[in-house]
Amino acid sequence: MATRPAGVYDVRYEQDIAVIRTIPQWITLGLFLVFLCLLPQLPFSSRYLLNVVNIILIMIIAIHGLNILTGFAGLISVGHSAFMGVGAYACASFMLWFDLSIWIALPLSGLTAGLVGILFGLPSLRLKGFYLAMATIAAQFIIRSFFFHFKPEIFGGSTGMSLKPVSTFGFVFDTQEKIYYLVMPITVIMTYFAVNLIRSRMGRAFVAIRDNDLSAEIMGISLFSYKLRAFFVSCFFAGIAGCLYIVFMRTIRPDQYTLMDSIWMLGILIIGGLGSVLGGILGTIFVKVLDEVVLVLTPFLGGILPSEYASRISASLGLVVFGLVVVLFLILEPRGLAHRWEILKNRFRHWPFTYG
Amino acid sequence: MYFFVYFLMSGIFLGAIYAIISLGIVIIYKSTKVFNFAQGHLLMVAALLGASLTQRFGLIGGFVLTVVGISVVGLLLERLTLRPLIGQPLIAALLMTIALGYLLEGGALILWGEGLYKYPALFPSTPFTISSITVSQEVAWAFVVVAVSFGVFVLFYQRTLLGKAMRATAEDHEVSQSMGIRVTNIFSVSWLIAALLAFVSSVFLGSLSGAHYLNSHLGLKAIPAVLVGGLDSIVGAIIGGMIVGLLESLVTGYLSAELGEVVPFIVLLVVLLVKPYGLFGLVRIERI
Repeated sequence: MATRPAGVYDVRYEQDIAVIRTIPQWITLGLFLVFLCLLPQLPFSSRYLLNVVNIILIMIIAIHGLNILTGFAGLISVGHSAFMGVGAYACASFMLWFDLSIWIALPLSGLTAGLVGILFGLPSLRLKGFYLAMATIAAQFIIRSFFFHFKPEIFGGSTGMSLKPVSTFGFVFDTQEKIYYLVMPITVIMTYFAVNLIRSRMGRAFVAIRDNDLSAEIMGISLFSYKLRAFFVSCFFAGIAGCLYIVFMRTIRPDQYTLMDSIWMLGILIIGGLGSVLGGILGTIFVKVLDEVVLVLTPFLGGILPSEYASRISASLGLVVFGLVVVLFLILEPRGLAHRWEILKNRFRHWPFTYG
Repeated sequence: MYFFVYFLMSGIFLGAIYAIISLGIVIIYKSTKVFNFAQGHLLMVAALLGASLTQRFGLIGGFVLTVVGISVVGLLLERLTLRPLIGQPLIAALLMTIALGYLLEGGALILWGEGLYKYPALFPSTPFTISSITVSQEVAWAFVVVAVSFGVFVLFYQRTLLGKAMRATAEDHEVSQSMGIRVTNIFSVSWLIAALLAFVSSVFLGSLSGAHYLNSHLGLKAIPAVLVGGLDSIVGAIIGGMIVGLLESLVTGYLSAELGEVVPFIVLLVVLLVKPYGLFGLVRIERI
């Protein structure tokens, strides 16, 4: 249980439900947002850094979606990257074939992904836990082969689709810096949305379903509508992320969104902490930074080891590191980085006492 | 007709391999309530071990060492990684076995590389004919092994004390513990059996296509087989494996290879919608 800062009391309802309680917290938030706005202008920022930051920001949106579905509503989805792919394909089609601007294509691709999510969420009414996870694996394979084979003249078959740099009102998103200024505000807004969603009636219903769906139903929560809503919201987030990802990458192929990516996303949730918005953000940053470290480390290890092992290392280091990190987190800290952060905060609040 | 028989035979062979993999998954699931995604990776490790050890120590010695090696791997996985997760939510165990799979795959890639290792030829290459249908020896053996292992497991679960203890553990961990069954030992035994089954399936897979680190992906195909049959049913594992193998082979033969990859999952989705616990799975009544 998180402890409050000392001397902060809730005397009104507004204070009780507030996310940000104290003036220092407001100031930190403000400074952080200013920092986000100025990041590309700072002296140490480079094209490479912005590239990584953009990927992290886009992934954070998708992870928020998966967190709402798996962390809060307790419905395990192993097909989340496929829904991201649906969003990306939808966005590409809207912009390519209907000449829609990004501002219309963005919400529309979120909606499309959400509707596809509802379709694959339908089994969730009868399936639970493990069986549902398997049904979503099926979604992963079916969506992938759909984009491979259905109407190659529209979706481009195995070559996929590619776009020109997205432009709006004569402003072209062609450099990492410009894409950053598109992605960053949307990530901030979606994070705000995710934080507030789980405090709402819907979010509380999700948590009730996660803890025990039969009890939740007896308490008057319609499982049918809330489970589908969870799928819709989650896949909406995934769709937005997919749409931003295609603005970032400008190409999409059916084999881009794999089962491995979906499993990575679940891994990110475990590493960050299930059922915590902060956890999703921390986990994404951790894993993506780890990715970069692996990329740097591979040639280094290749230089030390005999040449026979060098090529093997480059192919397997990612697998081994991912496996090891998830295994260690599950054994040592199954509640993830967010839980560690809470412990750290409590340490400071109780200092010099050790209890709490 | 010729083509049909050909695809039927390869379907039965593939189905037999899936059935044995599924059997391992079901046996682990029955007693530990963990779905072992790494079963295919165990199979891959067994195949690679078998290929390289038989080359070094001859046929008999190599296989004995492989059996010992894969058993140790299975027992260590259970003891070191899955036992600490008892009591954790479902997703923890789910991700754990997936991560273990990646670890095994990466480890195998470092140790053995990307090469295809030749497996010793165990089955005579001359096929025999039953009323004008040619059956290759491998298919016949695979069929026999599946039938025998089915019989053995039914007898094991019905007759032996250990089998009864495993069934009790499948029913309820706490009650079995209080009746004097060492539940953790049962967990180890289940993983041991699964590792041995991985070895059996690796023998067939090895003689079909040799040992390669991507063999592990067969485990992914066993998922629909297990779920179509029912997660906690031995009959279901075997019939589900056969259904998936036959469907994949026939669809690949008559329609297209890409569709053959997807068809098991479409069948899975349909079966799960109609019978959520699979064809032979035990329907559990939920209470609050």
